[in-house]
Amino acid sequence: MIEIHNLTKQFENTRAVDEVSVEIKEKTVFGLIGTNGAGKSTVLRMIAGVIKPDEGTVAVDNMPVYDNVEAKKRLFFIADEPYFFVNSNARAMEKYYSGIYEAFDREEFYRYLEKFNLDKNRKISTFSKGMKKQLALLLGICAHTKYILCDETFDGLDPVMRQGIKSIFAKEMEERGLTPVIASHNLRELEDICDHVGLLHKGGVLLSRDLEDMKCNIQKVQCVFSAVEDELKALNGLEVLKKEQRGSLCTITVRSTREEVEARFATVDTIFYEVLPLSLEEIFISETEVVGYDIKKLILG
Amino acid sequence: MTSKNSFLASCRENQKRRVWVWIVAVLSQLLLYGGMTMIYLSRIKGVYANGGFKTPNAFKEGMCQAARDALGFSDNLYGTIFLLAAIIGMQGFSYLFDRKKVDMYHSVPVSKDRRFAVVYINGIVIYLVANLSGMVLGTVIAASQGAVNMDVLATAGLAFVWNLFLFLAFYHMMMLAVMLTGNRFVTVCAYLTFVLYEYGLQSQISALKRIFFNTYSEYYLGAEPKLSVIYDCTIHIWNIKNAQNAAAAAAIAMPIVAKWILIGTVFLALAYLAYKKRPSEAAGVAVAFPFMKPVAKVAVAIPVALLAGRMVYDTSYENELLQIAGMLAGGLIFCAAAEVLFDFDIRSIFRHLPSSGVALAGILAIFCIFKWDIFGYDSYIPEQNKVESIAISADGYYDNYWDENQQYLGQGEFEKENMFLTDVSPVLALAESVKGADTEQMGDARPVQILYRLTSGRMAARMIRVDYDDPGTEELLNQIFRTDAFKKGVFQGITDETSDADLTRITYSNGPTRAVIPVEEAGRLREAWLKDMEQFDFTLVRHNRPCGILYFHYGDYNQRQWVVYDSFENTVSALKKLEAYYPMELDAADIESVTVTCYHNELSQQDNAVDYDMQPRAVAETWDAGYTDYTVSETFYEEEQIAQILPHIYCSWIDAPWADYKDLDDNYSLEIVFKRDSTYPYQRDNYYFGYSFYAGQVPDFVAEATAYTGESCEKSF
Repeated sequence: MIEIHNLTKQFENTRAVDEVSVEIKEKTVFGLIGTNGAGKSTVLRMIAGVIKPDEGTVAVDNMPVYDNVEAKKRLFFIADEPYFFVNSNARAMEKYYSGIYEAFDREEFYRYLEKFNLDKNRKISTFSKGMKKQLALLLGICAHTKYILCDETFDGLDPVMRQGIKSIFAKEMEERGLTPVIASHNLRELEDICDHVGLLHKGGVLLSRDLEDMKCNIQKVQCVFSAVEDELKALNGLEVLKKEQRGSLCTITVRSTREEVEARFATVDTIFYEVLPLSLEEIFISETEVVGYDIKKLILG
Repeated sequence: MTSKNSFLASCRENQKRRVWVWIVAVLSQLLLYGGMTMIYLSRIKGVYANGGFKTPNAFKEGMCQAARDALGFSDNLYGTIFLLAAIIGMQGFSYLFDRKKVDMYHSVPVSKDRRFAVVYINGIVIYLVANLSGMVLGTVIAASQGAVNMDVLATAGLAFVWNLFLFLAFYHMMMLAVMLTGNRFVTVCAYLTFVLYEYGLQSQISALKRIFFNTYSEYYLGAEPKLSVIYDCTIHIWNIKNAQNAAAAAAIAMPIVAKWILIGTVFLALAYLAYKKRPSEAAGVAVAFPFMKPVAKVAVAIPVALLAGRMVYDTSYENELLQIAGMLAGGLIFCAAAEVLFDFDIRSIFRHLPSSGVALAGILAIFCIFKWDIFGYDSYIPEQNKVESIAISADGYYDNYWDENQQYLGQGEFEKENMFLTDVSPVLALAESVKGADTEQMGDARPVQILYRLTSGRMAARMIRVDYDDPGTEELLNQIFRTDAFKKGVFQGITDETSDADLTRITYSNGPTRAVIPVEEAGRLREAWLKDMEQFDFTLVRHNRPCGILYFHYGDYNQRQWVVYDSFENTVSALKKLEAYYPMELDAADIESVTVTCYHNELSQQDNAVDYDMQPRAVAETWDAGYTDYTVSETFYEEEQIAQILPHIYCSWIDAPWADYKDLDDNYSLEIVFKRDSTYPYQRDNYYFGYSFYAGQVPDFVAEATAYTGESCEKSF
């Protein structure tokens, strides 16, 4: 587990990360979401042990990570712009990383290269941005570290590749307990990958939840009540996060399980009601609006 | 077999990233050593082809000397060593400047110590391999032409050590520069600062002392920087190159190398510490540690300001007001430039004004300290009980000195090592007697250099001006000159440790004569001369001129000079016994002609009288107006006339230490031509010699014959 406690980092007069506390559990895909400048990269760089926090701690499996080789052996960090040696090719990068990560699986790496149609002898400088990101991901996966930290790595990958990487992640999580940590400014990029999401804004954590919990505990109901009393009765005791009314059609977002909502609505007289699935985006909108933020401005622009 | 995670494997992996540095390093050394060896040997062969060497052995010796010059100590290599150290140091660690690289290197499980060691050692390996490749190539070229012997190899080996530690010192400086900065341009600035700082500051402070302190002198305690590697390697190379053999070169070079090791180690330790402490986020910023910004700004602003002030002072006809204005302007401009550099933003020009204020205040304080001699530099005379010993050099005697390795020593250096006056009171009294004195009022103001060795172990040097015409001064100088310590510190013949076995020749000369004395007579002559030196004092040398000089020659250039006066009865007697003594007064029968030239200085001085209070342009116009040649020459052939002239002249080829220059008439010069059939033993096969009249002893007929009539007046431009 990666434990981040009160992490703070300041660059000159800018507080890039402000008392961030998050726990990243093993065998989950952790998504770190935030706008540009929210502090995602800084948090990841501190988790990777690249930069030293001004305050707070980062512990990887109970080991401090900064300047600690043992802790770093469990991490592979893919920066937003991964660095490859000048004039190198995939084979040269493999040689470098396999010299550093003892468990690096060379055969697997070349197998994946073929699968992703990446030429091991082609100069990396001639790769497209997406290909470079694929290569960095493959190097990270084949390093066989417990944690892989990806900074904006999925941005720009085409859906096929995303799916490919996603399935590799799933396989590696299944086989050896890989824990990917993925930072992105785009909520939609993470929706189908992450198990847990942390939302960063202005250096602080707005929320950190399991995606499944969030999805299970927030419901959107579209309904037409027969009478106002029915509406009051149905919503009595439920935490209403958002309510919109267009004519007689109500769209209500409530914090509750699907079963509880269905049970409650079954007892009142409605002309029509339906419990609809929420997208991650809608969940975030609801959750953050509750605490006074306009998520559309933060994440969706 | 090495593990793939071993140190060697890491080194190999790192070397893959340094291919272009390898190419530059190896090529530069191959070209330099190979090129230099071929060129040097070719020169010798060219000289040989033109008959420059008389024997094949001499030619072979010349070839070996050429190979020694090419493969041994050579300042031609300094440029590449300086640049290679910079390139290798920067390339190895410059990943710290790039965030992408830092993200990769600092996230992988490699300890900082390992990474530092790998990059550092690989840098040295690159240099070593490159340098050795060059030396091997040069040696092969020299050997193929028969120009290698043991001395060549030994010198090359020594030079290899010298160059290696020079490289390491520069390499460590560059490493520290990289660790403290975040981009290449600022790194280069920092590197140059480390290399040149002490030398630059020292030279500016010395310049201020020269401008403002009347007693400042570099005669005994030079202004040379103590820790400047670049100064050491450029200043000492001449002595090392000219050492007789590899052992002599080692004796000079090794103490310097030891100093470089010490300096290099300090820089390495600082670089390592900075590497460990350096934040990764410093990539791309100008200065890695923010607290360094004001320190660097103030530290560099001061010498820059002093230099600016000095340039203005020199170009403004020594205007002190403009000098301080130049200093402040220079300091201010540098501070503004530093801020722009730190932020890469022209709008930062007025940032951090407090530190700029500190720099300007420092500059102003330094100017005031020197201008008003706040610490009493000029009035400094140590208390007698705090002085352990003194070395003193009174103007008027000049000689060449050699150390035990037969290397040339400066006069001040020799006196510093050999003169230890423990009776310091006459020197202190002398210094006290001229404190605040107006040298314009002195009859014969002469500089006297003093080195105070204090009981605290510190040394202080001052230059005072004393009046040689003043009887009080003469008495104090007599007390000093009579001491054995003074004589030992001035005349190398007294403390001579050179064995008579090394003596190649003894000669005695009174100007025109040169008598050769058998070297076996060295002991007897030395004994006689030392006995005579017991009567040596200032009065003797001030009011008498030598009757000749004994030269003890060691090798081709090295010689000891022993001044002989008429009153040196023992020496004169010994010389007479050896038939080497010739009286100063010449015999008219030996002389063919005497040409007397009168310069009519009184007329020239009238013409050239320049009012130095005039503005510079007016002075220049006066000089540009040309001058009138008033010299009149007359040649005398009559033996009778010549006989009247000879008792009144003194050979101007003989140095007369401390003698009163007013004793000779500088308005006249004489050229004496000896008869070809004269039996007089002319020195170096010459038959004409320069002489001067004693003051006030010009015969009337000579004065009349050389009077200025206006006819020979020429206007020259």
